[in-house]
Amino acid sequence: MSKSSYKKYEKISFLGEGQFAMVYKAKNLETGEIVAVKKIKLGSREDARDGINRTALREIKLLQELSHENVIGLLDVFGHKSNVSLVFELVDTDLEIIIKDQKIVLTQANIKSYLIQTLKGLEYLHRSWIMHRDLKPNNLLICANGVLKIADFGLAKFYASPTRINTHQVVTRWYRAPELLFGSRHYATGVDIWAVGCILAELLLRVPFLPGDSDLNQLDKIFSVFGTPSEEIWPGVKLLPDYIQFRPYPAIPLKEIFTACSDDLIDVADKMFSLYPLKRCTASEALKMPYFSNRPPPTEGSKLPMPTKQQEEEPPSKPNLKRKLLDQINDAVPGKKRLQF
Amino acid sequence: MAGNFWKSSHYQQWIVDKQDLVRERQEDLKYLTEEEYTKVQIFFANFIQVLGEQHKLRQQVIATATVYFKRFYARNSLKSIDPFLLAPTCIFLASKVEEFGVISANRLAGSCTNVIKNKFGYAYSQDYPYHSKHILECEFYLLENLDCCLIVYQPYRPLLLLIQDIGQEEQLQTLTWRIINDSLRTDVSLLYPPHQIAIGALQIACVILQKELKHWFAELNVDMEKIQEIARAIVNLFELWKGFDEKKEIAGLLDKIPKAKPNPPVTAR
Repeated sequence: MSKSSYKKYEKISFLGEGQFAMVYKAKNLETGEIVAVKKIKLGSREDARDGINRTALREIKLLQELSHENVIGLLDVFGHKSNVSLVFELVDTDLEIIIKDQKIVLTQANIKSYLIQTLKGLEYLHRSWIMHRDLKPNNLLICANGVLKIADFGLAKFYASPTRINTHQVVTRWYRAPELLFGSRHYATGVDIWAVGCILAELLLRVPFLPGDSDLNQLDKIFSVFGTPSEEIWPGVKLLPDYIQFRPYPAIPLKEIFTACSDDLIDVADKMFSLYPLKRCTASEALKMPYFSNRPPPTEGSKLPMPTKQQEEEPPSKPNLKRKLLDQINDAVPGKKRLQF
Repeated sequence: MAGNFWKSSHYQQWIVDKQDLVRERQEDLKYLTEEEYTKVQIFFANFIQVLGEQHKLRQQVIATATVYFKRFYARNSLKSIDPFLLAPTCIFLASKVEEFGVISANRLAGSCTNVIKNKFGYAYSQDYPYHSKHILECEFYLLENLDCCLIVYQPYRPLLLLIQDIGQEEQLQTLTWRIINDSLRTDVSLLYPPHQIAIGALQIACVILQKELKHWFAELNVDMEKIQEIARAIVNLFELWKGFDEKKEIAGLLDKIPKAKPNPPVTAR
């Protein structure tokens, strides 16, 4: 990985933007391979004084140790001064795009396939003592052959030490587990399982399941579905740093929300959505539940739906505004001028 | 650290062959004897240790920094980047990787100046020439030369497990821990898995404390030949160290190393 230089890759197009990075499609000029380059944004001058961006470093450190079909592969790292770029295998789309694509019908078998792949990747991560901490549909990338890959390890961390204190400001709010919202610092892999539960619900509903607009509202949304927790169902909840008393909601059986959903899948969702973190299933336990061996079998990878072609051939029907604007800027670059990083 | 050592980058990419190590070192052995090379390594391990202690780093972080230092020079000549610059850079990177929190490069450069003035004046008579911008620049070359392999497994955790198995032996644990620290001055961290290093160090500690644990060692499922090699390497270090008058010798040894250019080369490899 060391002979890389920033001249080795040629930008092709802009793919997206996150909090810490811009992602470009690019070509490796030596091998012709098409890759995704994640260029870490240069932060403030203060950040620059800290040297190589810590989020990027965390991602490099962890991905270098990981190798699994359902986890994104890091191909290369290059940099120019302290400005680091990470090179990944290029993956065609992500689960958020698929969920939002009205033309795509998600069958029970498709959903099962996405879930199995997510859980297998997550089982591998957890077995390697890594919490992802930021699972959401747009971090689950989907290859043209239907293989799902967990990506974006900027918030991931080892959870080896039980006494180590964690920050609770992780996970995009809608996918955040209740213990995080109550300020717990000793959470574990359960936060990832909760997020998978939210993703599962989103696959069924085709809209975010619990779209809270503030941390409090998020808790309110959670409790209005799963019931307000008491000490009986969640021992120790009142001791959490940011605990506050909520109005009492009764729990709504998930079957009433997901009316079209098979009972075996409801069982899985129930286990993932346990309010008490210690009662939540692990990825391995989830994979052993009947749903995953019951009929219908998961859709074969190559038969999973892909979004209608976008960007290069025809512009997507409703791109998000930022993406669109940036695309235009990118398109405005005259001709096939070589853009370098 | 966590995870599976046998599938780690440490095991798969950074346990190197003795022959390869010796071959890569030929460039430096043109102007230093093997013994002198080891003395230079001893000196810089001490330097990193003192620097780390200045910033109140945990031993784990200091050990990781030292291994980065050794990995870098396992592939590069001492003249490619001035070790006086690489040492603080290793600490800078290791403290981030081990999630210790960022030490400001400015403070680090400052403490290099102080430490050299107050403790290592005999080795380096000039003012410390590097600033934070040099450390920041050097950081990327280090990352690149480590092939982005940042997680280092250390013998400390295996040691605690072994001691637990033997039964609480505080004296034995403390001594072995210190021997493991000392082993950072040899090549063993480049050549052997950390649990073997822990066992090797434990064996030496048993000899020093005259502890009879033959049966316990016999029941370990481990390649005893490797353990002997490790123990020998550490004992050799002690022999060399005893006869090494750092204050008198080191300045002369450092002078023998052709000066690195003030800026790191574009590609060190």
